[in-house]
Amino acid sequence: MYALEVKNLTKTFDKLVAVDNASFEVPEGSIFGLIGRNGAGKTTTIRMMMNIYLPDSGEVVLRGTKVGQDFKNQVGYLPEERGLYKKMKVLETLLYFAELKGKSGREIHKKAEEYLKRFDLYDRRLSKIEDLSKGNQQKLQFITTVLHEPEFIILDEPYSGLDPINTNLLREIIIEMKQKGKVIIFSTHLMDFAEKMCDHIVMIDHGKIILKGALKDIKSKYSQKNVSLTYDGDISFLASNPMVESIADYGNTTGIKLKDANQTQQLLRLLLDKNVTVKKFDANDISLQEIFIELAGHEDLGKNGKEVRNV
Amino acid sequence: MFNYRVLAVIKRELREKLFSKAFIILTLMIPGLIIVFGSVQALLYSTESKGLKFDFVVEDGSLLKNFQKEFSQQDFVTQKHYVFNYSTMTREDFKRYVQNKKQEIIDEKLTGIIFVPSSALKDKKIEYYAKTPQNISLSRELERPINKIFLNIFFKSKSLSTEDLDFARSGVDFTGFKVSKDEKIAQEGYGNIVLSYALSILLYISLLMIGQMAMQSVIEEKGSKIVEVILSSVSAKELMTGKILGSAITGVAQMAVWLGTILAVASSALIALPPEITMNIKPDLVIYVMLNFFIGLVLFVSLFSMMGAIFDNAQDAASGNMPIMMLIIIPFFIAMSMMENPNKPYIEIASLFPFASIIVMPARLALIDVPVWQQILAVFINLLTIYALFPVAGKIYRIGILRSGKKPKWSEVVKWLKYKY
Repeated sequence: MYALEVKNLTKTFDKLVAVDNASFEVPEGSIFGLIGRNGAGKTTTIRMMMNIYLPDSGEVVLRGTKVGQDFKNQVGYLPEERGLYKKMKVLETLLYFAELKGKSGREIHKKAEEYLKRFDLYDRRLSKIEDLSKGNQQKLQFITTVLHEPEFIILDEPYSGLDPINTNLLREIIIEMKQKGKVIIFSTHLMDFAEKMCDHIVMIDHGKIILKGALKDIKSKYSQKNVSLTYDGDISFLASNPMVESIADYGNTTGIKLKDANQTQQLLRLLLDKNVTVKKFDANDISLQEIFIELAGHEDLGKNGKEVRNV
Repeated sequence: MFNYRVLAVIKRELREKLFSKAFIILTLMIPGLIIVFGSVQALLYSTESKGLKFDFVVEDGSLLKNFQKEFSQQDFVTQKHYVFNYSTMTREDFKRYVQNKKQEIIDEKLTGIIFVPSSALKDKKIEYYAKTPQNISLSRELERPINKIFLNIFFKSKSLSTEDLDFARSGVDFTGFKVSKDEKIAQEGYGNIVLSYALSILLYISLLMIGQMAMQSVIEEKGSKIVEVILSSVSAKELMTGKILGSAITGVAQMAVWLGTILAVASSALIALPPEITMNIKPDLVIYVMLNFFIGLVLFVSLFSMMGAIFDNAQDAASGNMPIMMLIIIPFFIAMSMMENPNKPYIEIASLFPFASIIVMPARLALIDVPVWQQILAVFINLLTIYALFPVAGKIYRIGILRSGKKPKWSEVVKWLKYKY
C-alpha cells in the first residue's frame, strides 16, 4: 500500500525542464529519501507534491485521491529556505501556524507549551523571534512543522544550516515520527545521511528519476558488482579481462568493479590461478555515494549546466 | 475562498498592523501633527513680527496725526508686532536721513523706513526702505489703514456724508450660497472647503501608508523565506486575499478614527468653530467615504502586494512602484485643484475614473452635490477594475513570492502571466 503516488510529473520553467516525467511511490510508514545534487529538481518535485506549484502534467495521488488542501492539512513541511516572522512572539507563532492547519483551542495551546518545554524554549515563549539565537529559531521551526501532528512530514534539505545539536534533535524527531507510523519524506544531497536514515529512496538527476526502490534492495544489487581486494603479487592482467569493468587502486586495497555480479567467484578463481596471494576478498557493501556517482557522476559536477535555481 | 485559513491570515495582519503600537501612535498623531504644524506656523508668524521697529516719515506734517490715530487702533500696534517712530520732514531732508540710518538698517536695529510723500494723496504711492523691502505681511497689514486715511482726506473735500464714505471704504464681501436640491439655499462658509481638503489629505496619507505597509509585509515574507512555510498550509490566493482584507480593514479603521475626530470637532459644543468654517457633514457622506475607501484599499493593496512579490528588497520596490504611486499622487493634486472651482470638467471625469475616484469623489462630494448615479457608478467602476485586475495581480503575486535572486525585468513579469502555476 502506497501512501503517496507521484505519477508522471513534469514541470517546465521557460525552456528549462525542471522535472521530467517523474514517477515514484512512497510506501506507508517509510522514511523516504529524495536524493540528488543541488538543482536536480528535488525542491520543484516537493513543491508540486505540496500543491505549491501546479505541474504541467502528471498528478500526485494521496491514498487514492488527488492531493489538494486536504493533503496540506496533513503535512508538516520544512522547506530548505525557512523563516519565521521576526516580530512575532514564540508561542504566538506556534499557534498561528497551527491555526493555518485548522488546529486551534486549548488543546493545541497545551501541546505547544509541552513542545517548548521539551526543547528548552518555554522560558522564551513570550520573546520575540528576532531575540532568539539562530539555533533556537531552528528548534522553533521544527516545532511548527510537527505541532499539528501531521501524517506526513516533508523535509527539504533538512540538514542545511543546522548546528550539530539541532541535527541530532531533528534526527530524534524523525525517528519518533517514524515510530508513530508517520510518513517522512526528505530530500537531500548528502548521501551518507540518506543512507543512515532512509528505507526507501528515489534518485533524481536533471529532473529525471534515475533510480528508485528500497535502499536495502538497491544496495545489495549494486554491491554485488563491487569487490575490494587485498593481495600480494601482480594483478595487471585484470585490466584487460572482459569481466572487469574498472579497477581503482586505493593503496592497501584495490576496488574492482565487475560487469556482472555473478562473476565474483570466477574472479576469485582467476586470481588464485594466476598465483596472486589473496589476503582479503570482500564482495562488500557499497555506499550510496558510490552508487550515485556511478549513475550520475560521469560528468563534471561543477558543469552541470542548466539547473533550477531559485524558482 | 473565504475560510478559516483566510480568517487566520486576516487576524494576524490585524495584530501586526492595526494593533501594533507604531501604527496606533501614528494614526493618533497625524491629526495631532496637522494641528501642531498649524499652530507652530501661526506661532512662528507671530513671533517673527514681534517688536519690529519702523520709522514712519510723513512729508506733510498735517497728516501725521491721522496715521498715529489710525495705526494705534490696529492689531499690529496694540499687540506690539510693529513699533512706529513717527516724524515729519521734506523729501530733501529725508534723503539725508536715509543715508544716516543706513547702518542701523543694515545692522537690523531698524527694520525699515516708510516714507509718505505729499504726492501720495493723489497717486497713493508710498515708499519703503529696508534691507528686505519685499515684505508681504507688512504691506498687507498696512495697506488698509493707510488707504483709509487717503480716502478720508480725499473725500473730505468732496463733502460726502460719513455714510457714503463708509460705503466707499468697505471692500467687497463675497458671501457664498450653496444651491442644492434642499428647499432652502444655505449660506455657506469655508467649512466644506476645509472638509474637502481634509478628506483629500487624509485619504492620500492613509492610502500611501497602508499601501506601503502592505508592500513591506509581502517583501518581508518573501525576503525572510517564510512564505514557503505558509504556502504549505494555505494557497497563494488565500494568503493574498487575507493580507489584502487585513490591510483594507486596517485602513478603514484608521479612516474611521480620523473622520470620527473631525465629526466630533465639527459637532462638538465644547470646541466652537468659527461660523465661517462650520462643516456640514452628513452621515451618508461618511458612510460613502468609508465604503469607497474600502474598495480603493482593496484595489491599491492588490497592486502594492503584487509589487512586493516582484521585488525582494525595499529599494527595488520603491523604484518599481512609482506608477502606482502616481495613481495616488495625481488624483490628490486633482482633488486639491478642485478647491478653486469644483466644476471643472476634468474633475467630473476624475471622480468616476478608476483609482482616481477614491480620492477625488469624496473631495467632490464634500463641496458640491454629486448625482447619486455618479456616486454609484464610481464604486461600480472600481469594483469592475478589481474584478479585472485581481486575477492578474494574483498570478504575478503567486509566481513572484517564490522567486528570488535577480531583479526581474518587466518583460519577464509579463511572461509570468503565461506560466502555468
